[in-house]
Order: sequence, then structure tokens, then C-alpha cells
Amino acid sequence: MECMQNNRKTETKSSTKPITKPHSIVRLLMLMRPHMGKISLSLLCVLLVNAAQLIKPYILKVVIDDFLINHAEQRGFYSIASMGILYFLIVVMGGLLSITQANLINRASQEIMKDLRNRVFRTIQYLPLSYLDKTSSGRLITRATNDVEAISEMYTDVIINLFKDIFLLVGIIYTMLALNIRLALISFSIVPLMFLLVFLLKKKIRENFRRMKSLIGRINGFMAENISGMKIIQIFRGEKEKLDEFLKLNGEYFKTTLFQVRMNSILRPAAEIFQNLAVAILLWYGMGKIRDHTLEIGILYAFTTYIKQFFAPISNLAESYTTIQSALVSADRIFELLDQESLLEDLDKGISMDRIEGNIEFKNVWFAYNGDDWVLKDISFKLEKGQMAAFVGETGAGKTTIISLINGFYKIQKGQILIDGIDINKIKKRDLRRNIAVVLQDVFLFSGDIKKNITLNEEMSDEHVIRALEAACASDFVSGFPGGIYEPVMERGSTFSAGQRQLLSFARAIAHNPSVFVLDEATANIDTQTEQLIQKAIENITRGRTTLVIAHRLSTVRNADKIIVIDDGRIVETGTHDELMRLGGYYRKMIDEGRRQVERTDFQMAFN
Amino acid sequence: MGKRIIVNFLKKHTFSYIVGIAFMLLTSYIQSRYPKVLGETIDILSMENFDGNLVIKNIIIILLLAVGTFITTFIWRNTVIANARNLECHLREMLYKHFQKLSPEYYNKNKTGDLIAYAINDISAVRQTFGPATAMTINGIVTCVIAIYSMAQAGSWHLTLIALLPIPLIVVFMLKIGKLIQKRFRRVQECFAAVSGRVNENINGIRVIKAYTQEDSEIENFQALNDNMVEANVSMVRVSSLLSPAIDISFSISFVLNLIIGGNMVLSGSISLGDFTAFNGYLTMILNPVTSIGRVINILERGMASLKRLDEVFNTRPQIRDGEKAISKKIEGDIVIHGLSFAYPGTETKALEDISIKIPKGHTVGIVGRTGSGKSTIANLLLKLYNVERGKVFIDGIDINDYSLEALRNAFGYVPQDNFLFSASIKDNITFFKPGYSDSEIENAAKNSCIYDSIISFPDGFDTILGERGVNLSGGQKQRISIARAIIRDPAILILDDSLSAVDTITETKILENFRRIRKGKTTIIIAHRLSAVESADEIIVMEKGRICERGTHEELLAKGGVYYGMYAEQSEDRNQKLYKTYH
Repeated sequence: MECMQNNRKTETKSSTKPITKPHSIVRLLMLMRPHMGKISLSLLCVLLVNAAQLIKPYILKVVIDDFLINHAEQRGFYSIASMGILYFLIVVMGGLLSITQANLINRASQEIMKDLRNRVFRTIQYLPLSYLDKTSSGRLITRATNDVEAISEMYTDVIINLFKDIFLLVGIIYTMLALNIRLALISFSIVPLMFLLVFLLKKKIRENFRRMKSLIGRINGFMAENISGMKIIQIFRGEKEKLDEFLKLNGEYFKTTLFQVRMNSILRPAAEIFQNLAVAILLWYGMGKIRDHTLEIGILYAFTTYIKQFFAPISNLAESYTTIQSALVSADRIFELLDQESLLEDLDKGISMDRIEGNIEFKNVWFAYNGDDWVLKDISFKLEKGQMAAFVGETGAGKTTIISLINGFYKIQKGQILIDGIDINKIKKRDLRRNIAVVLQDVFLFSGDIKKNITLNEEMSDEHVIRALEAACASDFVSGFPGGIYEPVMERGSTFSAGQRQLLSFARAIAHNPSVFVLDEATANIDTQTEQLIQKAIENITRGRTTLVIAHRLSTVRNADKIIVIDDGRIVETGTHDELMRLGGYYRKMIDEGRRQVERTDFQMAFN
Repeated sequence: MGKRIIVNFLKKHTFSYIVGIAFMLLTSYIQSRYPKVLGETIDILSMENFDGNLVIKNIIIILLLAVGTFITTFIWRNTVIANARNLECHLREMLYKHFQKLSPEYYNKNKTGDLIAYAINDISAVRQTFGPATAMTINGIVTCVIAIYSMAQAGSWHLTLIALLPIPLIVVFMLKIGKLIQKRFRRVQECFAAVSGRVNENINGIRVIKAYTQEDSEIENFQALNDNMVEANVSMVRVSSLLSPAIDISFSISFVLNLIIGGNMVLSGSISLGDFTAFNGYLTMILNPVTSIGRVINILERGMASLKRLDEVFNTRPQIRDGEKAISKKIEGDIVIHGLSFAYPGTETKALEDISIKIPKGHTVGIVGRTGSGKSTIANLLLKLYNVERGKVFIDGIDINDYSLEALRNAFGYVPQDNFLFSASIKDNITFFKPGYSDSEIENAAKNSCIYDSIISFPDGFDTILGERGVNLSGGQKQRISIARAIIRDPAILILDDSLSAVDTITETKILENFRRIRKGKTTIIIAHRLSAVESADEIIVMEKGRICERGTHEELLAKGGVYYGMYAEQSEDRNQKLYKTYH
């Protein structure tokens, strides 16, 4: 922790210096600190389980050497039967310990994962839009789900198994050396070979497995696309071409699976081969020693068992190695996201404003998303409480940018935005945004029910929701559903039409009773009847509220107190509809161009 | 069908299966020799002044057993397991071929996700059944039989039965606990899906969340899901951690019984020390097959369920097939629809009623009407996406049901409402992956669809990749590429199904002008919502509730002052409302 704080200090001192964060593996280990109690207990269990594992062949050795070969007299505890019972008790104890261990480590690692997932999610919530814009949503979703899962594998499987396997290897080696040094050394002669083969094969298998996974992913994607487009394929008789493409993909996949089979058919029998090899060597060496009674048969037999135990931990270690590698890639990506801490928005910093009146002023505002690439140039305008401003201009002129600046989604580079006379940078973001309702072109609906989409997570009574729906002209179609305001909403509201989604988002805005309303009028084709409802709803919302709207309809523009015409990031004209028409500038030209098509057909009609 | 595919596959690969299974048996046999040889060696060693040559002979046998195991395992894995992989790919290929034949109706009824699951998960489950599960079953049975027999040889039947006493216990316990683990594991997966789903939705809706400052409550809700997931995981591990210790403990009972009883048998001289160790060896050999019984049963169950699902898919007969006469004459483009009524399969209401239209070769016909009035249904039927009664639809005087599908659909160029493009290059999308179009043909198609300029403004031009991993086009651009895709084939009949809706009016005019030139002497059907698209058609058909309510030229229909006139007036007002449609 200390060193992280130090890092943050240096970061604030000089942002140009590259900051050396501790390696991801260190940070992953640091996450374990709050759970050290459980983890150490679990490690202790592992140690004991391993000890039990190692004692088992030794008991067998005692039985063989003492009783079966040397015919020692069985007295009291020193008997085959009590050895058997001892063996059983050791297994039972080992079993109980390994149950305890598995549950302890699982609890700890689940808690670590939970914290990590929560941290990732929290970070995403408070990241500014300027950051989120640049990051694909798919990537962020992967961080909170798959990446965390990849790390979880490391905690549950690797960390504990790593200790288990290393302890076990050390334990076996120690026991073998203690029993008979020369025999042990001879047995070890094949170990390097075992390591080499297993690591080499596992690496190849893993690489191939990654290829297999990516191919099956591509087959999946191909299927998805072609099933959705099957009608088109059939109409265009593209079946043969698409089949060829599929066969190529499927054939490539088949090749990787064959490689997998081949590699496994070498690896799987390897354990037995090494075991037989070691046993052969042991027998060959032990033969002479047994003849002159310098070696007991029981030891030789115990060794054949120990050799067998060797293979599993080595194989696991090779597996762990690759798991760690992929976990580290995920860890790097997660920490990179978590390190954006300095960017995070603090919703509660600044002047608290319970109710905003709605006086808005832009003072020489300059804004760029990147560097000097100015999107807004020297924008100034003023809106009194309750007024409505319509922004007009071509796509890309900067209209959307202006409305995103009002609720502090982006920081402006030059100038000032004042709300009720206060710089918005100084206002608590929570208060600012609570008072401003935004309705965007493509409405986002959450899965759940209609009420939840209106209230979001706020406490609101059913009556309040119904009143909001009425004001938004949405109550007619909502009350037509069997569930009313509790009618389920599918993912992204796919069961509603574009117009209905629009009306619901108006209701959402009204229910939160904002003092400022920001609207990006939809351009999508909406049937005439719904269009009228939308008009009515807009009138209802804007009444008594300061409104900023990116207008696409003549009626909206006509109702505006102020039309602000934007071209290439600058305000070129400001005024009411009549004033601007009289002016005969950019706005007039635009209106005329839009009309030409209509007039042409009107002319035709008259002519006919 | 699905079963027959598998049977045929097995027949075709009988030889390699026989070889594989033979080597599998051989592997089990070779492996089962090892404890015996080791036991013998120990017996030799425990004699005073043993014969060293005998030991060396046994050492060589042990080495040979190792080599033998390796070779035989390599062979059976590369036949049986490789065949299962082959079967997987073969099944997937057959399934995809089958998918290509199924009609739109099928795809309307089934979710894409489910169909993909057939091709990936179900086929993989079948593969596991015919590969690893079969191998484990055969291997397990053979190993157990040989091991038990050898145990009886080494010790006695008496000892063997006593030692095997705990085995049924293990099996029952395993099956019981296995079910419980599976149940809890499903819950873990559900929780994971819930967490992923929430993250997904949250990130996609982040703008709304931020605008309404819902960050804190979102975090709270997420934490609740997260807690559930931890609980689910902990409760699963609480059960699953029992499995392997419980097996170890039960098995150690067998082992201890052998230790005590067998040990005393050695002392009493009824068996040798070598027999005793061999017995131990065989006991360990049984452990593996026994502990995997649960897993094998699980795989077999899933495999059978998947096979049943696949069978259902394979048994679905394509609704649309070649006509009986399978005429494959080149189509000129003379269309006659005569008293056609139609209801979509599974519905009662008629989508079309008593439709009669004559479109002589070379004519352009416009079809207009409100959503759901039956405009697109006419296109669907001409393309034979659904079956039509005989004697209702004729092309070049021949009943549409008499053509081969290939000949019929080759005659059409179709621009759909939902402009579906593939995530491939623009060029491949326009040529529909078919070779044989020259660059200038492709360019011309693009120019006539007024999309050429947009395409060459991309850095990669016609090689630009579309879709998620490539460029995302606007709706209007997509529509124009679908138009290029249809006109490059210079079809006898071109159908535009409301395909100019996202194109601005100026570009629309240009495209229609191009059509007049390139579609001269060829049949064109324009289905539209916006009337400007059909104004210059030879005949305009106005649809209402599945019937033709008006027909005539633009001027005739306006003069009539009916439904068409009403639509026209409404749309003019809309056009007045929308200021700068041209800018989008």
C-alpha cells in the first residue's frame, strides 16, 4: 500500500515521468492480504495433507519389510492390523484436511474476486465519458467478467496448487533421500527428462488450444451471421460460396483438433512410461544390493510408489505456468483500468445546489475532444430560466457537443459555462445532473419493467410514474399492456417501436422533474400518429423549463425563443425564426433547400 | 436423419474403429501385466540367492510394457478419438448444409442463439459421447475385468470380494453427489450470466446512468448480484470438495482390508509377497475407471439429449423445394399474378386476398401501402420464400411451382428492407462472394447505386471490411450497397422492398434516374413507403389490408383523390415538417 501511495505522489508531482507501478503479480499477491488468515490456514492444511500423502507408502514399506519379509513379531500396536488402521486414519485425516483447505481457499479467493469485480465496476461507473468514448464497450465488459474470471482461476487453482505441488515434490524428494540416498538419486535421473517433455508438450497443447478456441469462436460468428442472413443467401443463391467458406473454417478447426489428439496421445501415456522406466532402473540397480542385503525390498517397492507420485505435480506445475501467464495478461488489463483513479469523477465535490433555477450562460467556450482539434470555437449564448433554445446546423457542426457539455460530461478547455451564475465546474456534479434531464436520439431502455425504466433506481410511487407517462403521452400504449407499468421490458427495449421508446424516455425525464431539459430530436421514421404524440409530449415537458434542443422539425424551431445556428463549431446566426428568415443568411438557405423538394412536387401537382 | 448420419459415418470408418478398439483392448491388457511382472520380480528378489538373469528378463519386460503401452495408446487415440473429432466436423458440415436448405419460416420460429448452440454445443456433446466417453467405457470395463480376474489369481476370490466391498458404495455416493454438484454448478453459471448481463447492460446504458446520476445505486445492485455469485460458488465447493476425499477414504478401506487380510495370508504362506504387491497394484488400477463412472454417465446423458435435439433439426424437412418439373429455363421477366390469396403458415388471417397483377417484361411497378398491408408478402411469394398454391403466380407463362429454385432465384435481384450485409469486404458484399465480376462491373454497380464516392473515400476502397471489426456504415450507405449487390447481377426482375427509406430524397432521385437507364427493357418492382420512389412507375398498386384498393399511374391516382391522394397529402406535410432530411 505504502509504495502505491508513493507512486501517486510522484504522479502528481511530475506527470511526464513514467511511473513504475509494482508488477502485476505483486499487486495480485497484495490483494490477498486481507484474507491472509484463511490463506495461511489453508496452506497449513496443504502441508499436512502432503505429509499424509507421503506417509502412506512408508506404512506399506514397514508392513512389507518388517512383517512380511523379516517376520517381526506382532505385538500390541506393532502389528499389521494396527498399521492398517493407522493408514486408514491418516487417509481420513488427510481427507478432512483437504476438504477444509478447499473451502477455506475458495472462500478467500471468491472474496478477492468479489472485491476486484466491485472495484472494476465502480471504476467504470465513475469514469468520465471522455474516457468511455474511447474504449469499446466490449472491452470494458471483458474486464469485469472474463478478465476477473481468468484471475480467479489463478487464485483458486494455481496459488494453492503451486504450494501443494511444490511441497509435495519437496516432500517426495526429501523422503526418498531420507530412505535411501543412492536409490533416490538414481530415480531422479529421469526427472529432468520428465520436466522437459511435459513442459514442451503442455506448451504446444496450450498454444494449439488457443488456436482451437479462436477457430470455434470464428465458426460461432460465422453461424450467427449466416443464420441471420440465410434468407438473403438463399435469394442470392450464395449457398455454395458460403458453404465453401464454412468448409474452409471447419477444416482448419479439424486440423487443430487432430494436432490436439496427437499431442495428447503422447502426453497421456507418458506418466506410465516414465514410471516403468524408473522402476526398471531401480530394479536393475537394486538387484545387487538386495542380494547382499544392503537394501530392503520394501524400500524398493515404496520407491516405485513415490516415483508414481512424481508425475502429477510436475504435470500440474506445467499447467499452472500457463494459467499464470494468461492470468497475468488479464491482471495487467484490469490494473490498467483501476489505475485510472485520478480520472474518476467525484460526484459530491463542489457547491451543493438543491434546486437549479435554469439560467444558462456559455461564455467564450472552446472545446476539443482531442488536443487542438477544436469542435466548439468561442461559443457564447445566454438562456433565461424557462426559455427554449433550438440548435440548428449540419451533422458534425457541434450541436451534440454543446448539449453534452451542460451536465459536465466533458471538461471545456477555454471559457466558462455558468448555471444560475455559478461555473458548472464548481457545482456538485450530482446536483447538476439531477436537475438536468437528457433525452438522446437512440433511447436506451434497461431490461426489467416499464416502471423501473422510468424511476431508474429512485423511489417513486405508481401514481407519480403514471402521471409522468400521461404527460409524456405514453399512458395510452402503456395501459394497453396486460402488465401496465409493470409490463416487462426486454433487453434494450427491443419489443417497443422507436416512437414508443422515445415516449418512454420523455416520461423518464418528466418523472425526475428536472429544471433543465435537453433533447436531441429523433430523425428516425416514425408513423404520423406517434409523431403527433411526440410533439405534444415535448410541449408538456418544455413548459416552464429551460430547454435546449437539437431540432429536426420546423414546428420545434418555430416554438423556440432562440434559434442558434451552428456551422463548423461556431455560432453563425442567432434569433427567432422570423428574424432569421428576414436576415436571409445560412438559416434561410437551409430552410429553402429543405423545401425545394416539396415545392417541386407541389408544382407538379398544380401542373397536373 | 441425425442418427443415420452417425451410422453412415461409423460404417464408413468401421475399419479404423476396429483397429482402434483392438488396440484399446491391447493397451488395457498390456497395462494390466505390469503389477504381475512387478510382483513376480519382488518374489524373485525376496528369495535367497536369486537368479539375476530372471530379474533382468523382467526388467526388459517392464520396459517393453512401457513401449507397448505407448504405441498402442498412440494408435487407439489417433483412431478412436481422432474419428470422434472427424465426426464432430462432419456433423457440423451436414448441419450447416441442412441449415442452408431450411426456409425462412424455420428461421422465424427458431432463435439464432439456439441454432448456433446446435452447431457448437450439441455437436460437441455428441463428439464427447462417441470419443472419450466410449473410450473410457470400453477401457474401464476391460481394465476392471482383467484387474479383478488378476486379483483373484494373485490373491483369492475370497480376498478379492472383500477388497471390492466398498466399491459399490463409492459408485452410489459419487452418482448422488455428482447430481448435487451439477445442480449447484448450474446455479454458479446462472449467477455468472447475471453478472455479465448486468455489466453489459450497464455499460451500454452508461450515458443514461450518468445523466440521471444512478452510479451509486447501480453499484449497490451490482454488489447484490456479486454476493449471490460468491454464495453460489461457496455452496458448490462445499459439496464438490467432498468428492475426492470421500473416494480416497472409501478406497483406503479396500486397501486396508487387503493390507490386513492379504498381509496375514502372506504370513501364513497362502500367497507370496509378489502376489500381495500385485494385488495392491490391481486395486489401484480399478480406482481410475471407477471414479470416472459418474463423469462417463454424465457425458453419455448429455450426448443422448444433444443427439435427440440434433435429430429434430435434421428431421425438419425444408418447406421450399425445387418444383416438380424443375424447369431451369432462363427467365425473361413476364409476371402474372392471378387471384392470389395467401396466409402465412400457422396464421388464420389472410396477408393477401385476391391479388391480380400483370407486369409485362420491361415494366416498372410500384407497390405502396401502410405497414402490414401486404406489400412485402408479394415480394416474398415471388421469390418463393413461402409456398404458393398452383395456378396463381406465373412467370413467363409457367407456374412458379414448376421452376427449379436455382433458375427462379437467379432471375431475381432483391434489395431487402433490413439491409443485411456480411462482415466481409465491400467488394465481396456486392458480388456476393461470387467470382467472375470484373472491377469495372463492380464499380458501375456502385456508381449506379450512388455509393461509389462513399466507397472510394474509405482508405481501403472496395476492400474495406464491413461490420464489427471493420467500418460501420450508416443506414443509407448500407441500403445503397444492397442496391449495388442486386443490380450487379443485371437480373431479369429487380425487387426493391422499401429500400430507399434511409436515402435522402436527392440521392433517391438520382438512383431512380439511373434505374430508368439500366433497367430499360427489364422488369422492376419498387415497394415503398415514401411515394416519391414510385411516382414514375408504369403502374402503381395501392395496397390496404392485403387487398389492392387502387391502381393506376401517379397522375391517375392523384386525380382520383382516394387513398393514394390521402397518403400523398400526409407525406407532403411531413416533408414540410422535416427541415433538413437531406443532411442526414
